[in-house]
Amino acid sequence: MSEPHGTPGPGTDPGSAPTPPTPPTPPTLPTLPTLPTLPTLPTLPTLPASTAGLPVVIVDDHSIFRSGLRAELDADIRVLGEAATVDEAIALVVALQPRVVLLDVHLPGGRGGGGSEVIHDAAHRAPHTLFLALSVSDAADDVVRVIRAGARGYITKSSSGAEVSEAARRVADGDAVFSPRLAGFVLDAFGAVAGETAETTEELDRLSAREQEVMRLIARGYTYKEVAGSLFISPKTVETHVSAVLRKLQLSSRYELTAWALERKLL
Amino acid sequence: MSRPRQRIIAGVCAGFAEHTGLSVTVVRTATLLLILAGGAGALLYAWLWVTTPTATANPVRFGAAELPKASLARPAPGYAGSPGSRHGLGGPADAAAERAAAAASSARSAPITEILLGLALLAAGLTLVASRLGADIPLAVVIPAIVVLSGTALAWRQFADIRGGSEQHSSALLVRALGALVLVAVGILLFFVTSDSPDGWTVVIASASVLLGVVVVIAPWLVRLSRDLADERAGRAREAERAEIAAHLHDSVLQTLALIQQKAGPQSDAARLARAQERELREWLFTGTGTGFGTAAGTAASTAAGTDAGAGGAGGIPDVDLPTALRRIGAELEADFPVQFDIVSAGSSLGPAPEGLLAAGREAMLNAARHSGGPVSVYLETGANAVSLSVTDRGPGFRLDDVPDDRHGVRESVIGRMRRLGGTALVRPGPGGAGTEILLTLPTVPAPADPALPHPTNSTDFVMTTHLSGPETIEDPKNSVEAVHPDRTLPAAADADGSRP
Repeated sequence: MSEPHGTPGPGTDPGSAPTPPTPPTPPTLPTLPTLPTLPTLPTLPTLPASTAGLPVVIVDDHSIFRSGLRAELDADIRVLGEAATVDEAIALVVALQPRVVLLDVHLPGGRGGGGSEVIHDAAHRAPHTLFLALSVSDAADDVVRVIRAGARGYITKSSSGAEVSEAARRVADGDAVFSPRLAGFVLDAFGAVAGETAETTEELDRLSAREQEVMRLIARGYTYKEVAGSLFISPKTVETHVSAVLRKLQLSSRYELTAWALERKLL
Repeated sequence: MSRPRQRIIAGVCAGFAEHTGLSVTVVRTATLLLILAGGAGALLYAWLWVTTPTATANPVRFGAAELPKASLARPAPGYAGSPGSRHGLGGPADAAAERAAAAASSARSAPITEILLGLALLAAGLTLVASRLGADIPLAVVIPAIVVLSGTALAWRQFADIRGGSEQHSSALLVRALGALVLVAVGILLFFVTSDSPDGWTVVIASASVLLGVVVVIAPWLVRLSRDLADERAGRAREAERAEIAAHLHDSVLQTLALIQQKAGPQSDAARLARAQERELREWLFTGTGTGFGTAAGTAASTAAGTDAGAGGAGGIPDVDLPTALRRIGAELEADFPVQFDIVSAGSSLGPAPEGLLAAGREAMLNAARHSGGPVSVYLETGANAVSLSVTDRGPGFRLDDVPDDRHGVRESVIGRMRRLGGTALVRPGPGGAGTEILLTLPTVPAPADPALPHPTNSTDFVMTTHLSGPETIEDPKNSVEAVHPDRTLPAAADADGSRP
């Protein structure tokens, strides 16, 4: 199962605005101008290790997956450490303060909360750390639970190393990472399929028309750049929309999301 | 021993005769004589009545030649419960025999009942005999004692029955249990009510005694209840542990399969095998429980399958909903072609998949599988007004010159079919000009399916309908290539339209 959205298509878009390009080896982490639409994003600190690439921590209970991912990640991704359980992960993230945590959704240990427990317990003690959820699961509750806990995106474990690297960079830049599946779920859960559209941009429980368009194209397997090209907007605008949707996904009290989470005792 | 079902009073004499080998007449006469001797016979009879289980078996089994009375004779419990006796019996008789065996074994396992009853009856008999002989019997003590003993015995007998697994009506059980409790309580109270010098202490002691008696009587139930509770809790813990292990295992397997696919390369047999296994496991894990993406929320209307009942051609897809049917098609095609279908569905698809749309979708997926050889995105959206399906591949694109046969296939089995169903189809280059994108839309409100009408009622649902009105649009490869840029503006508009209520 590939996640084509994560990698920019070979054909660059003519209408794309200048974006922070992330070719294989940028020696420094781009200190991005934080998006005004993303109040949750902390300003990127000047990391001491920024000269050596994007510092990440891999959290997964399968050592074979950790080592495989470590070997496949791009050269500009620097793996600070690995953790296998909830407790280890919390301690490691707090101690190392990585920029991005590649976080498995299912983890042993702790209180049994898995990846979302790590985010809950570690996020406030590592204020500059962002979480990217990795999962083999297709179950919506797993993914939405970890997103609602604060993960900035979700990709499946079948993604290639390059795709994971790209997603990690995207998350480090403050963007959200959506898979086609997650986009499909969002359209469903926010009533877009049934024809509901947000009236104002402030509304948390429904998607705006533009956000629906973006989500539909992502669900169809388009990359962000392709979405931008299809809608004649800049990739930055696409990212803004995706981030807005992620925020709604995290903050919305929409009935379907909560009812469904309650049904599975997630809250 | 056991009592036969056909009986004069309670079958005690017949049972006793059968058990001891004596003649029934002799036993009955002896019983009558004993009854005359101060009622001792009656007490004995009552005791045996209560303590002996009822025999159960088919009387016919013992020969029709015997007299009815002789056929009253029942085998001993051991015999009735023996495996041999159960063979060849009908269902009800068989069940009855089982119950008798259970009763017998339960009586054996709880001799306390018999002991208590025996003590009660023995006391009663001795009292009677003693009073006959003129002895001064403290009846005020003896009678309550007998009542208490009987009540306790009854209560414990209930417990033995329950533990023996014999099925009882809960109402009968309740009545008997209550009866036993009342007996015990009344008996204990009698002790004190009939005592010579009642005072304040008597009342206190009486209350305490009654409570104690009740506790003794219901103790077996309490023990049983707590034991059941502990069993259940342990069982639940085991279940949870097993589920956790299973979840971890599934995770590991899925991960391993993903790794194999990554390492083996998309075209290899190993990858294809791993993918098939992964899909199988996923289907079992996620779609069976209904927690997969696309099944959660949504208030979309049903897919109104009636629209394309006549279209046919889906071929062998049973009555499953559209996402499941598409997943199966994807699985079939992945087995034959080096492709990977990433199928996403939104909205709830109710009812069986509309056959015509499924057939057209299958053709579109087949086209992508044949020509792309890589990841193919399939997105299904079941909206309030229409079902839309998009198939996007990253292949070399739609080269009509190269594969005229397939073009014909797409034209006929995708575009033509959708038009006949009252829907629309659009074939165009994929995003960024690479690959092919096929968009199918089918209104859920049944539209008159008339092949003569080029534009069905839903033409506003899809802006590109005009492109499809004639096959010539598709036949000209130049046209489809040149249409890249105009086309690319359109999916958004089309989507926005589709999302309107």
